[in-house]
Amino acid sequence: MQAQIDFERPDLAALLADMDEAALDALSFGVIGFDAENRVRRYNVVESQAAGLRPERVLAQDLFTVVAPCMNNFLVAQRFIDAREAGTGLDETINYVLTLRMRPTKVRLRLLSAPAAEFSYVLVQRL
Amino acid sequence: MSAAVDCPAVEEYEALLQFLYMAPVGLVQLSADGTILMLNPLSAQLMMPLSRQSELTNLFEALAPVAPDLRQLCAAYLADSGQICDATRLYLYGDQTGHGPQVLSLSMLKLDANRLMAVLSDVTEQDRRERQLRNTDAWLHAIMTNISDYALVSLDQRGRIAEWNDSIGRVTGHGPEAVGQPYALFSPEDATTPMRQLDRLREADDNGWSLEEGMRRRADGSQFWASAMIAPLPGRLGEDSGEPAYCMIIRDISDKREISQSLRQAAYCDHLTGLSNRRAFFESAELELARNKKSPRPISLIMLDADHFKAINDNYGHPAGDAVLCRLAAAMRAVCREVDVLARIGGEEFAVLLPSVGLEHALAVAERLRAQVERSPVLYQRQRIPCTISLGVAVLDDSMAGFEGLLARADQALYQAKRRGRNQVAQWLAGEGKRDAD
Repeated sequence: MQAQIDFERPDLAALLADMDEAALDALSFGVIGFDAENRVRRYNVVESQAAGLRPERVLAQDLFTVVAPCMNNFLVAQRFIDAREAGTGLDETINYVLTLRMRPTKVRLRLLSAPAAEFSYVLVQRL
Repeated sequence: MSAAVDCPAVEEYEALLQFLYMAPVGLVQLSADGTILMLNPLSAQLMMPLSRQSELTNLFEALAPVAPDLRQLCAAYLADSGQICDATRLYLYGDQTGHGPQVLSLSMLKLDANRLMAVLSDVTEQDRRERQLRNTDAWLHAIMTNISDYALVSLDQRGRIAEWNDSIGRVTGHGPEAVGQPYALFSPEDATTPMRQLDRLREADDNGWSLEEGMRRRADGSQFWASAMIAPLPGRLGEDSGEPAYCMIIRDISDKREISQSLRQAAYCDHLTGLSNRRAFFESAELELARNKKSPRPISLIMLDADHFKAINDNYGHPAGDAVLCRLAAAMRAVCREVDVLARIGGEEFAVLLPSVGLEHALAVAERLRAQVERSPVLYQRQRIPCTISLGVAVLDDSMAGFEGLLARADQALYQAKRRGRNQVAQWLAGEGKRDAD
């Protein structure tokens, strides 16, 4: 078993890229990985249970319109767009309220994106 | 009814969840005290410009900046269930620049004694279209309505009464000596400014007409509710010829006042204080700024806020807090001119927009307001509730990006007044600390 990986760990983006699905599922926080077209490609079990949706409902769907419309704004979606347009990396952590299963849920979101990386990530830690 | 209800299949549960996740309207279920029990993503999204650091735990608190009387409105709804409000407009302008909706529609339903449901949607575009239509409507209304009598007044290039006729005598009671006077002659004192008079002439130049409903004054001082339309005359002569350049029609519509007033009130008045609400305030501000663009003049803004208002609510109860707010509104009416826009723009936050008023004068008005409130404590159920206010004053200048800039400066000045110990007036000064927290 690997040691528990910290939400705030600096090199997390690189680690996530190398993890298989089982390793993602072992994390203590939610992971949503998506491609350059915002299609969800990775969705771990913590996130799946919190949202009440199995991966098969979510994978290949558009993150900001179908899966997490509550992130489709200047705080989250716009940051990924801006980072892509500028060709720069993104690693920011913000406090946020999600509506998981219609319950207002305080979370911290970590937004990860790198120009060379295949997927961008939204990580969700419940407070 | 079977006792054991089957667990819905996972598929079905997911489908329901996604139905709500993706619903294109905001839905919130709350308890009677406003605590949010459930909400879907769009509702959180729509309230984002308001919530900033707040946590969406209480709907009344989250919406307080734009719907300060929502709690009261819900509490006052006595039936067991039913519709509390239907598509009420909430005006968000100015809280965030350019992000998210500017106008929300809110409907509130009472489900039972302890559960409410709110439906929110973004109606920014719709509101804009309606405003355009409303102007057209007012115009049609003005020409189609039956009228008993009207005064036909010709005005010269600068808005002075050019000629006298019988109709002026009949409707306003003024004789031929009215000739040469500005048309403000027909308005109650303080209800207009020379600048505003010229604005209307310019509006008529630009649009072909300018229409206004409001109080007018007869020669004997008595007042009546009138609609006044100004239209430029074709073939008029140039500057200062003294010849008629505009025609103004003043109609006594006192009998229609009640209808148009109550319609206006529902849409433009704060429920509790009777002052302008946020919508009226921002619309007036927008208009004043548009006028300012065409012909610059000073515009001042006073923001004021009841000191220690939370303590008043805690110590004396919410009804006493409401009485204090009403008392503040009364003080504002007593001190300000009719042409000023007096508004309640937040829970205990008020604003006064002063057209054609510069800094010095605005500071004097603010000080009069402060003194007026301080010397008249509120009486509520035989208790004297002392109350003071803090005020921030700012004046529009060229360095500002629109009304939001002015609002932000007045707000910063207000914060300074609070920081320096409350019960005082502060003016905005460049470089003073931003309002980081309150």
